[in-house]
Amino acid sequence: MDSQLKRGLLDVCVLAAIKSEDSYGYRIMNDLKPYLELSESTLYTILKRLETAGMLTVRTAEHGGRLRKYYHITGEGLRRIREFREDWKEILSIYRFVVKEDEHE
Amino acid sequence: MNKREFLARLREGLRGLPREDIEERAIFYSEMIDERLEEGLSEAEAVGKLGPVSDVVAQILADTPPAESVREKSKPRGRVRAWEIVLLVLGFPVWFPLLIAAFAVLLAAVIVLWALVISLWAVDASLLGCVLGGAVSAAAFFLRGNGLTAAAMLAAGLCCAGLAIFCFFGCKAVTKGALWLTKKTASGVKHLFMGKETA
Repeated sequence: MDSQLKRGLLDVCVLAAIKSEDSYGYRIMNDLKPYLELSESTLYTILKRLETAGMLTVRTAEHGGRLRKYYHITGEGLRRIREFREDWKEILSIYRFVVKEDEHE
Repeated sequence: MNKREFLARLREGLRGLPREDIEERAIFYSEMIDERLEEGLSEAEAVGKLGPVSDVVAQILADTPPAESVREKSKPRGRVRAWEIVLLVLGFPVWFPLLIAAFAVLLAAVIVLWALVISLWAVDASLLGCVLGGAVSAAAFFLRGNGLTAAAMLAAGLCCAGLAIFCFFGCKAVTKGALWLTKKTASGVKHLFMGKETA
């Protein structure tokens, strides 16, 4: 897969994982496991990128005697998901066109 | 491999990246290990799930934009040091007497503490002396035929012996406490300076 497209997909997947409620690294990884296998390093890079872009915020909370980082989606993050859905419609129509043309051959 | 070893090797492998970035990554991986421990995995298993440290480091370095590692390497450390030296020299008339005063106060506190310990032991020793004195004078009075006074002296000696034994335990405890406090103070001062050296 094109790396730019994959990067965009990964970003949206992580945003979707924290959309309904704040989540933490390990849970995000587990929630995404059925759809894509993410390494810790990749997840960290995505979270950092999204934080820098203002699509999520990080807070630290106490959990079972230790600290855990929770990720919270921002308005910008929600906008990114909506954008993705719009983009995807376009991609799907392009896909249909490509498949149709391919079958004609 | 346990968690501490993994994190130490990770930090070692990431040397060259910005320090805060290394720490943030270490916290992230530490959290991942803790989550797996919470799930019931052993420490070795939880660390094992992350894969070999060398692979983790290689992947992080591959994911990190090259600019970041270059930025850390080219940090103008020399200039920061120079500023520190200038500040130290300019502030010398202020911080040096303050430092000496702080040391003097600390030293005085330690001396007072040990003077107290010594005086307590002196009390105990004098009580022991009284025991001896009581016994000797009791013998002397007895030989001179003054039995009642001899008995009184013996009783006083025995009282002193009891008090001496009682005091001995008190002195021992106080000495132990003073030793602990002195050690703590010494290590505190040492850490203060070690911290300054690394900063």
